[in-house]
Amino acid sequence: MIGLSHNALWVLASMLMLGTASGLVGCFAYWKRHSLMSDALAHAALPGVVAGYAILGFKSLPVMLLGAAASALLGALAVSWIRSGSRVKEDTAMGIILSVFFGLGIMLLAIVNRLPGGGQSGLDSFIFGQAAAMVRQDMRTMAAAAAIVLLVVLVSYKEWKLHLFDPAFASGLGLSGRLMDAAYLTLLVAVIVIGIQAVGVILMAALLIIPAVSARYWTNAFGTMLALSAGFGGGAGAVGACVSTLGDGWPTGPFIVLAAAGTFLVSLLFGPRKGLLVRAMQRREQMRKLQTRAIRSDKLTEGEALP
Amino acid sequence: MEPAANTNGREPVLEVKGLHAAYRRNRVLEDVTFEVMPGTLTAIVGPNGAGKSTLLKTMLGLHPRLGGEVRFFGTSYRNAKLRVGYVPQRGSVDWDFPTDALDVVLMGLYGRIGWFRRPGRRHREQALEALAKMGMADFAKRQISELSGGQQQRVFLARALVQDADLYLLDEPLAGVDAATERAIMEMLKTLRAAGKTVMVVHHDLQTVEDDFDHVLLLNRTVIAHGPTGEVFTQETIARAYGGWLRRREMVPG
Amino acid sequence: MRTRKSNRAIVRALALLATLLLLPACGSGAEGGADGAANGSGGLSPDGAIRVVTTIAQIADPLSVIGGDRVRVESLMGPGVDPHLYQASQGDIRKLGNADVIFYNGLHLEANMLRAFGQIGKSRPVLAVGEAIPEDRLLRDETGAVDPHVWFDIDLWKIALGAAVEELKALSPDDAALFEANKRDYFARMDALKEEAARKMSSIPEQRRVLVTAHDAFGYFGRMLGLEVVGLQGLSTEDEIGLGDIERTIELLVERQVPAVFVESSINPRSVEAVIEGAKERGLNVRLGGELFSDAMGGAGTEEGTYIGMFRHNVETIHQALTGEE
Repeated sequence: MIGLSHNALWVLASMLMLGTASGLVGCFAYWKRHSLMSDALAHAALPGVVAGYAILGFKSLPVMLLGAAASALLGALAVSWIRSGSRVKEDTAMGIILSVFFGLGIMLLAIVNRLPGGGQSGLDSFIFGQAAAMVRQDMRTMAAAAAIVLLVVLVSYKEWKLHLFDPAFASGLGLSGRLMDAAYLTLLVAVIVIGIQAVGVILMAALLIIPAVSARYWTNAFGTMLALSAGFGGGAGAVGACVSTLGDGWPTGPFIVLAAAGTFLVSLLFGPRKGLLVRAMQRREQMRKLQTRAIRSDKLTEGEALP
Repeated sequence: MEPAANTNGREPVLEVKGLHAAYRRNRVLEDVTFEVMPGTLTAIVGPNGAGKSTLLKTMLGLHPRLGGEVRFFGTSYRNAKLRVGYVPQRGSVDWDFPTDALDVVLMGLYGRIGWFRRPGRRHREQALEALAKMGMADFAKRQISELSGGQQQRVFLARALVQDADLYLLDEPLAGVDAATERAIMEMLKTLRAAGKTVMVVHHDLQTVEDDFDHVLLLNRTVIAHGPTGEVFTQETIARAYGGWLRRREMVPG
Repeated sequence: MRTRKSNRAIVRALALLATLLLLPACGSGAEGGADGAANGSGGLSPDGAIRVVTTIAQIADPLSVIGGDRVRVESLMGPGVDPHLYQASQGDIRKLGNADVIFYNGLHLEANMLRAFGQIGKSRPVLAVGEAIPEDRLLRDETGAVDPHVWFDIDLWKIALGAAVEELKALSPDDAALFEANKRDYFARMDALKEEAARKMSSIPEQRRVLVTAHDAFGYFGRMLGLEVVGLQGLSTEDEIGLGDIERTIELLVERQVPAVFVESSINPRSVEAVIEGAKERGLNVRLGGELFSDAMGGAGTEEGTYIGMFRHNVETIHQALTGEE
């Protein structure tokens, strides 16, 4: 693309790779029926980020990200603790953790904003993200993350397929369900933690959920769905970043989410698998067949409608 | 493998001693003890909630064990994994998953293919063979979401076959399937027995126990009776297994 | 194993915790001002000093000098705090409730506190000092919004502080003469500061007189001293920065060959750093000229913690960066 500034290029590349990684991990979350978990964990990361700054007293990105990872993991543990020990259903547990942790994060943020230098910590940018400020270093980080996720998916592709489809049988074959769950959680938290710097806590869930759901409308093969999900995620990242360069003061994060939503809309309408248009066409085809048969067996004269 | 013969003097394929398990707050398995000899086809029967599924899961480590001992081929399950084939309930899986029948059967070979390696042509041929044995060769490339209940069960059986195990544990394989599939499955199980394999089936239909199974295990939280069908499957044992289950449910302490 | 009863208790406790934690997040505690406003409306404290509470320190510091020991001044927002985003806490409401008079900047700077002021204003004098400035002397951006950072224009700030002093005189007429005298002294210092600043700025080569900062806080500063000011963000830090903003800024830097850009003490420097890196790719070696005080002042007890010290620090930093080594 001619005329793209270096900053735009960095943002574009970063978002492309973040989108790709999110699409892949999001596909796993989809088949674990865990899509809400991505949302819950993204929100749960907030108090960790703030605590990372508050404890240290000054801004240190690695510490804040570590804090984000820790509190997201804590959230995940809390969800499974609630589920295993009580009658509360999984999505309720996720909802509880989402709001409790996020509320805690906002509260800590209010406190930190009063401290000297609090405004400088950039903690507010973790809520909505600051994709426009990506620089070369961020691009490298995103690239590394995407590469690792891709590697894990490619190397143990059939293991993931087995674990997602029939975890009990997998366990019987010697594929430890706990190991796979731990690996999945690690990937998820890593992508979330890296991603919230760019698109923020609130929008991260969109990147994890929408590409996978959109991909479902296009294919019946797991491998293809993974690839499509990665493609849709990366595409949304790239397109959203591009569009945000067009206007003055247009925020990058929200445009990426809109791009993702756009792919979902297109998939919903035109996807060959259960897309609305395809379904309508199939229905019409079947009505036509029925009518032809009815005419042939003399039950109707041509032009008469079915009862 | 040697054909099924007199079980005297042979090592038990499966030994369970004093197995205890609970589900939420109820005690589901209590002091379960039995031995299974090779070359037998055993039906596990009992009322709903008697712990039949839980028994299989607990033996395989899929459900927490509160006490007791389980030995497969004289050793722990971990060492005997390749010799044990597990066919879970059909409902335990999401059949909407985007994959085809051949792929599911291939999964049975993952243990042999090895981690991080791709299935080869030979593996695919084996999988196809197993599908053919279950009459599903034409459906190899069909999406599993498009299969009927009976067809899905056959795919599960094919997956078990391809594992080439010595002991098969099946959880309600005949539930909700059509008559033709039921026949096909029972034929296959009998063929396995003839080849010297051992089969245990969680079964729900008391009527067919006498015709199809040479051994039966009556379970209602604990072993009511276990042994050759002719000897053990009597009015009295059935009544004991099914009669008292409506009464008290014991709470797990602590 | 947990019993049924303790499970329910756990879930209930979590739900209660969630509610409690979400309450402070639901905006300022203006409703809680009722009990705070109950005590002392208009009356003076036991030792006769006027209890003054301000939002920003740019108001508090000058008033504490002018009022001397006849006033006790406190500001809600400390060093490094961003007033655009600031939300009043219960503690702040209490402080406001205990004050004799409250001064804030107004002009939409303390955007999230207006409701609190409305409430408090019913029981004691609350004055937006910035709004004492005649409208035709205020700056507006292209959307028509008023630029609230008026303390950077020394003449305008004298008007604002003057209005505050009049209010103090009204509250304590006996001290009026003292306040007036102190005010004249302080204003003289402010005039000297303005001259010094003008001198320094005019020694910067003409085409280098461009001030690039994180947000549009220096409009009045630029107007007063003949600098062209460019902020990455708009007037308020509430907006998210877009790529367009960053690119536009880099364009300007390259075009005018600006040697330095500045970060601010109350704003995350990330976006400015992105600008610097982007400019480097275009071959322009832009330095980080230093940290300026924009919305907040320096630490208490330091030179930069005073209005005049803060102003001087900004002038020095800008002067050094824009005239300094190539």
